[in-house]
Formats: sequence, structure tokens, C-alpha cells
Amino acid sequence: MASKGLAERLYLGEANLNIVGRRKMWFGIFAGLLIVALGSFVLRGFDLGIEFAGGTQFAIPASTGTQAEAQSAMARAVETAGVAEEANVGPVQQVGKGADAVYTIRTAALSQEKSTEIKNSVAADLKVSPDDISDDRVSAAWGTQVTQQALLGLGIFLVLVLGYLVVRFEWRMAVAAVMSLLIDLVLTAGVYSLVGFEVTPSTVIGFLTILGFSLYDVVVVFDKVQENTRGITGGTAQTYAEATNLAVNQTLMRSINTGLVALLPVGGLLFIGAGLLGAGSLKDLGLVLFVGMGLGVISSILFAAPMLVALKNQEPRIKSHNARVLARRSAARSGDVARGERPRSGKSDAEEAPALAGSTPRPGARPAAKRGGTRGGAGNRPSGGQKRR
Amino acid sequence: MHPGRQLAVLGLLFVILYSLVFFGPGASGSFTDRLHPKLGLDLVGGTQATYVASLMSNGQPPPRSSMEEARKIIDQRVNALGVAEAEVVIEGNTNIVVSVAGEAEDQLKNVGQAAQMRFRKVLKATGDNAAVAVAPPSAAPSASASAAPKPSGSVAPKANTSPGPKVTASPSGGQGGGELAPSPSPSPSASASAPAPKPSASAAPAPVPVNEKKKQQRAAIEKKVGPAAWTAAEKLTAPVDLQTDPAAGLPFKAFSTLTGEEVNALTPEMQFNVPTISCEQLDKRPNGAIDAVDEQVVACQSGAKMFLDVAKVVGTDIDSATPQLDQQQGQWVVSLDFTSEGQEKWTALTREAFQPAADDPCLAAAQALSTGATHCLVAVVLDKEVISAPEIQGVLTGQSQITGQFDAASAKELADQITYGALPVTFEAAATKTVSATLGKKQLEAGLLAAAIGMGLVAIYAFFYYRLLGSVIFLSLLLSGLLTFGALVVLGRTTGFTLTLAGIAGFIVSLGVAADSFVIYFERLKDEIHEGRSARAAVPRAWVRARRTIISANTITIMAAVVLYIVSIGAVKGFAFALGLSTILDLVVVFLFRHPIMTMFANTKAFMSPRVSGLGRAMKQQQQRVSTDVKEA
Repeated sequence: MASKGLAERLYLGEANLNIVGRRKMWFGIFAGLLIVALGSFVLRGFDLGIEFAGGTQFAIPASTGTQAEAQSAMARAVETAGVAEEANVGPVQQVGKGADAVYTIRTAALSQEKSTEIKNSVAADLKVSPDDISDDRVSAAWGTQVTQQALLGLGIFLVLVLGYLVVRFEWRMAVAAVMSLLIDLVLTAGVYSLVGFEVTPSTVIGFLTILGFSLYDVVVVFDKVQENTRGITGGTAQTYAEATNLAVNQTLMRSINTGLVALLPVGGLLFIGAGLLGAGSLKDLGLVLFVGMGLGVISSILFAAPMLVALKNQEPRIKSHNARVLARRSAARSGDVARGERPRSGKSDAEEAPALAGSTPRPGARPAAKRGGTRGGAGNRPSGGQKRR
Repeated sequence: MHPGRQLAVLGLLFVILYSLVFFGPGASGSFTDRLHPKLGLDLVGGTQATYVASLMSNGQPPPRSSMEEARKIIDQRVNALGVAEAEVVIEGNTNIVVSVAGEAEDQLKNVGQAAQMRFRKVLKATGDNAAVAVAPPSAAPSASASAAPKPSGSVAPKANTSPGPKVTASPSGGQGGGELAPSPSPSPSASASAPAPKPSASAAPAPVPVNEKKKQQRAAIEKKVGPAAWTAAEKLTAPVDLQTDPAAGLPFKAFSTLTGEEVNALTPEMQFNVPTISCEQLDKRPNGAIDAVDEQVVACQSGAKMFLDVAKVVGTDIDSATPQLDQQQGQWVVSLDFTSEGQEKWTALTREAFQPAADDPCLAAAQALSTGATHCLVAVVLDKEVISAPEIQGVLTGQSQITGQFDAASAKELADQITYGALPVTFEAAATKTVSATLGKKQLEAGLLAAAIGMGLVAIYAFFYYRLLGSVIFLSLLLSGLLTFGALVVLGRTTGFTLTLAGIAGFIVSLGVAADSFVIYFERLKDEIHEGRSARAAVPRAWVRARRTIISANTITIMAAVVLYIVSIGAVKGFAFALGLSTILDLVVVFLFRHPIMTMFANTKAFMSPRVSGLGRAMKQQQQRVSTDVKEA
């Protein structure tokens, strides 16, 4: 047990990574990513699917063969016309039954000449006259209004959630949490814009799913931070940054675990769904969730907590407290204390006897001074009336 | 609460849910048939209806903006519940194509309706005597009115518009439709003496300029019916009295062969007075035939032809319409809130009907339609039909109601049509067709396979990391899955909640997120044991502390779902519904299953054995720490 591996230390919440201390670096990285994402919105925009942009619909008489034949004829035709990439051929649908049944296929909007070219080559392929095949413009099925209303809902939600978090935690935590959520959303959209993944209704829906999940992670971390920093100004053991860093380390495994557990089914959807079926709603949804949730876990650790500390350090009470702690340390000459690193509690080998674990602020035993705030829920009582068996 | 009791509550939930699944409303077919959730368009295909926009007067298709507006309104009508995931697109220049999952012809029947709402005072009324007029009875059989009953609130015009909750309008006396049985019962004599009705004081309609097209049509009709019949019809100032002379309708027999379009070319007076023009013919007039606000028109309601005044209140004057169950009457009504301007117009119209001028023929018409009426009727006209013609029981200054023969569904449909507004374009419905699934079974199977593999991975990870506790996770997920599935089946039947592939994927993801709350709990448990508590003490403490986090996190998700459900439209609404549903079910499982199970677990010996619970390392470490502390001391 002399030196434990990182995994082991993670498991025990003792990884002791200095995350909060390097906050300038994280902010720099996130700022850079945001600039790239926003730049991409402006310069590249999004690749909108047929549901948003409208397109062209071909109708082929069903008497020409099977659905699969129509599909492959269409695929060959767009290939020949040289628009396979942008035409984005959808699945074939059979409309109607019996003699007047037709197969309809939707593609992205095509120029008149291209669609005529495709019509002709499909007709030749299936041995019918081009006049039997119709091509029509189809509008977007997903009106701009749906997007507008969804964004309105998003705005209202952000305001509400901000209010809720202010009540549940405090305003600085609420601001940090909502900022972290916004970063997730912008970066996820940025990935879509940069890579040029197609935006479909499933994408939008997946995008909205991220809302709850992203905040979920932050709430878990902040819960622990709140616990660790309650009554912190009563003692002079650690600065706010150090206490927060400790909380992040203690919840690191939790964050990684929740992320993994949630990402596993998504990964299943994405890789298996897309692998077996090629494009489709499964891929769209899996992809956006995968990107968004992954970013959610990362930003809750690397952005939300550091941001919180940056905000809290502006608070006069915390400011003076931090100064007191540092003053006391330099007086005690307890070695070089990098910001954000926990002071070694006299033991020579930090690795071995886990100093951290030893001094983990025990939830039950907090510094007696200034217990700020009341504890939520049922406090310390074990939930009542357990019947012994 | 005792763990056993919580599990009992969960068991009860299950029993209720699954008895709904198997024996609830709408459950039918074999055992397996009852286990099918309603699948979406992409998975099982459905019905596709095409609505063709009528060309504008200049022969051009309607402008793109009007078509888009119409698309939006139709979309809202189809997706009024927001969970059906219908698709509405404009195809070419004139078509709007609506696709809905499953067999939904009824659903699509009226979404293309223009839903032009007009409120018109009833000036004259007569029975629909066409059948008798064409074939006069030798004896006195009771010819039945040939008005085709309509889906919307047709039937008896026994409507009373109660002004808000305060005043209860006394139901009008006798019964319209029935009373108006064509001969031999006395046909309304009201109009017999009345000359062509004077337009009521307030708004004299300008004489309608007859356009060229109508002139041509009329000339053609004159040829068709013969000049004698045409001249006779033109001379009529009142409905032909078949009462005294059952054969009086015979000269007009040719009129019964006119098409809806031809009937529409006639003057309203002719449409009303010629006895051989039936309600059926009137109902076949082209869409938008009587939308003109400043013209007097003829419309039918269950076997009564009514001659109606200009429209003084229109659909756009209505701010919102909601279906309501009128407790006193025990019937469905549609209550209307007017815009402020509309309210003024409505008040003026009701005053006019409540206290009709002396020379206003409307009172006689009211008495003809319902015996003992003391005030005039105002017809509520939707497109080409009168959906109800209530007697106005007072000057209405507040919310008003439309009554009629509504059931819950038709009241809602009408309210939706009014709320979402009238279509700016008139459409003719083409035939509905079936459409095949876009993705189909293969995709569904692949999706479910992906889900199973994903869930399998979660389970493996949980077992690896938490050992035996992983089984609690696994069982909970299974429960969540079963609850969700049952809820989907029931909701599919009751609210039309439709499951698309995206929806399935969403639920799978939500199961993964549900597994999260376990991680929070178990990590807490580890912390507690880490601090040297026994399992028995640690479980309740960890629960209390994890509960707070779990509730906070789920509150946020539910907030997102509720806000999105209220604000958004279309597919997003359906998604929000699913999100809220799965989150609430997750909470149910957390509180009613996991917590009691863990409490029971904590009381067993096995739970504390490091090999079993996955809390081993935390405990070993704890023991080590204790021993080092001892050494140091």
C-alpha cells in the first residue's frame, strides 16, 4: 500500500489534483474554445437537414419494382449527377396502395437542372418514362416557429433554474452553474458547426436533453463544495479555493462515474445504431448527446468549480478569510503552499498515510464556529423509524 | 416509512398500471396486442392526407407566405396535443401534405378546414323541404330532412349562450331540428309574410356586385333548369309554401339537380326560397362559399335552412376558445373569450338580437325554429355550416359559450380550430393514402439492440464497480424500464402519445441518467463508511444526504420538461413530455424501490463483506487508518 495508483486514489477521492489552482489555464482554454465555436457559427453556420431547410421530393411509380430497388436507383442517380454528398438522400416511403402507389424519396434542395438529371437517370435505371417521375419542392416540416419556441423555452428555463439555484445554493453558485451550462450548449453547437454534422430534429431534441444533464453534474459538485466550505471562515485551516478543490477531488470519481454510466447507453446508441444503420435519428441523437454529455462532465469539473472560486474570491468575507489563512501559514512556515494545494499536515510522506482522507472535513464534525445556513432535508437524523429485523 | 410499506406502494403502482395496460380503456385484441405502445410514423408508417389549395381569383397559386401560414396552422391543429409527432409539409406550390402515424383518417378529416368563424343573426328560417318538393306526397308521409348530419356540433339548435358563469340562460323552449320537420307539420310561417328581409339597421350590406363569372354561371344554370323555372325562382320572395299546396315545389324540380358550385352562383334569396334546393346541395358548395363578411348568406343546420345576416362578429374577434364540461347541463361546450374590440362587437350583436327592432324579421325566424322564443337567434357559422344557433338570452358582455351536440373530442376540435385561427387559404381535401414507415422494423430492432447493449454495459460496469450493489442498480433499471413501458402503452391509447425512434432513444438515455442517481448514493455511502460508520448507520445517513442531491438534480430536469412542454410546439413538446415522464418515474423508483431495498440490505451480514458490496476498499482503508492511528498513538 506504499504508493497507490491514480485509479485507487481516485476511488478514494484522494487524487489530489490541483484543479482549482490552475483556473486561469482552464478559463483560457474555455475562452479559446468559445471563440472558435462562435467564430464557426458566424463563418460556417450549420448544415441544416431537410426538415429545416426543405428539399426536393421525387415520386416514382411503385410498379417499377421494390422499395429497395427505388432506393438504390436513387442512390446511383445522385452519384452520377455528382451530388451524392449534398443531396443527402432520405429513406424511401411507399405512399398509397395498389395501382397508383408511388415511392417517395426526399433529398436536400436541388437545382432544377440537377433534379431533372436525376429524374432522367432514375427513369432510365427503372425503365420508365421520365414523365412518370415527378419532382416537387417540399417545404421544411420543422417551421422556424418550432425553433423559436424552443429557444424561448430555453430562455425561460435558464431564468427559472437560476432562481432555483440561488434558493438552493447561493447566487454565485447559480451564476457559475448556469455559465457552465451555457458553455456546454455553445461548445456542443460549435462541434456541430465545425465538423458539419447535419442538424435534424433529433439533434435539436438531443440538444435540449443536455440541459438537465449538464446541470446535474454541477449540482453534484456544488453540493459537496457547499458541505466543505460551510463554516470555513470559522477556522483558518484552508482557503476557499483549497476547500473547493478538495470537494472537486472528492466528487471526481462520482463525476467520472455518472458521466460513464450515462454515456454508455448513448455510446451504444451512437456506435451500434449508426454502425448498423448508417445515418438516421439514432445517430443524430446519439451524437449530440455524446458530445454534450461529455462536455457536461468536463465543464462541471474544469469550469464550474474554478469559476465559483473566482466569483467567491471577490466576496469580502472570503477575501479576508483567505488572507488570514495565508498569513497564518507564512507565519507557521509550513512549507511552500501552492495555491490550491492542501497543506501537508506534518506527515513527510503525503502519499502514504492519506493525509487527505484523515483531514477530510467530516460532514458530521464541522468546525463548531459559525455553522452558516441550515442543512437541507432531514439534517442528521437517520430517516425515521427503521425497524430492526 | 417502513421499507416493506414502500415496496407495497410500488407493487400497487405496478398492479394499477398494468391492469390499465391490459384492461384499461382502449385495450383490445390478444394478450400481446395489448402490449403495443403507439409507434410513430417513422416506425410503422401511417396515413397521409393531401390538401390542395384553391387557386386565387387570378388563377395563381396562393403566395408562399400564406401557404406557410396555413402549414403552421394545420401543424398546430394536428399536433394540438403535441405528442403525436405528425409531419406537415408544403409540397410543390399548392399542396399541404399531412402525415400521421397509424390509421388516422378521422383525425385528418377536418384539419384542412378553413375554420372561418362567423356570427350571423338568423333572419329567416325554413325547413329543408327539398325531398317533399321534388316528390310531393300523395298521402302525408313524413319525409325526412335530407340534411347530412355533420361531425361538428350540428343537430338540435337547442343552444343557449350563457353569459359567463353568472347568468344561466333559460333553455329555449321547443326543439329546433325536430320541430322543423318538413311537412306535414306546419312549416315555419314566419317568412311567408315577410318580404325580403331588410338588412338590420346597423349595417346595410352593399348590393353585392355580381362578377362576370357568376353571370356566366347563372346563364348556364338558367339553361339547365329551363327559363320557366328560373323566372319563377327569381320571382320568389319567400319560401314556397308546401303546406297548402304540396305540389307547389314541382316547377322548381330541376333545381334539385344543381351541383354545389352551381347553387353557390345563385343569389342567397334563391338559395333560400327555392324549395327544391336541399341542405345537402348547400353543404356541397365550394369551401369559402359563405365567408364573405358583408354579404347575407344561406346556411343549414340539421334540416333547417337559415337566411343569415351579414357577419358582425368573426373568428379573429375571438381571443381564445376552450372546451369545457358544463357541470349544470352535463354537456360539453366551447367557451369563448373575445378580444377587447371583439367583445364590443359581440355585445352589440347580442343586444341587437336580444332586443330586436320592430321590423326585424329575426324574431319570427327564432319562433319558427324554437317555439316560444322571445329573442332572436345568432348563428355560429363555421365554414359552410351553422354549428349552433343559440337564442340570445341577454346582452352578453363577458365570456360566452357555444353549445351544441359536442362530445369531449369535438368540443376540443372546435376550440382548437378557433384558437389556431382560420386558414388564409381554402383547401380541398384529396384522398387520404397509407404511407409506409420510413425506417421500419429493422431500425427499430437495431435501436432496441443498441439499447440492450448500452444497458448491458451499464450493468457490467455497475457490477464491476459496486459488486453486489450493482444488482440493485440492475433491478432498478429493469423496474424503470417496465414502468416506462407500461406508461407508454397507456398514454399511447389515452393521449395519443406516439413513440418515434428518437423517443425510444431518449428513453434509453434517460435510463442511463437514472442510473446516475445510484452513483451519487453509493459514493455517499462510501464516504460514510470511509468515515468509520457501520453499514447500518451509513445507509440512512447516505440516503438523507444523497436524497437532497438527487431531488435537486431531478427538479432541474422536471423544470426543463415543464417549461418546454408549456412553451414549445411540435416535436419539442413531445420530447418535453417524455423527459418529464421518465424523470418522474425515475424518482418513483428511487424512493419506492432503491431506498427500501438498501435499508433491508444494510441489515444483512453479507452487505458488509468487502467482496460483496464493493465498499470493501473503503472499509479496508478505514480499518488501516484506524490501525495506523493506533500505532502512532
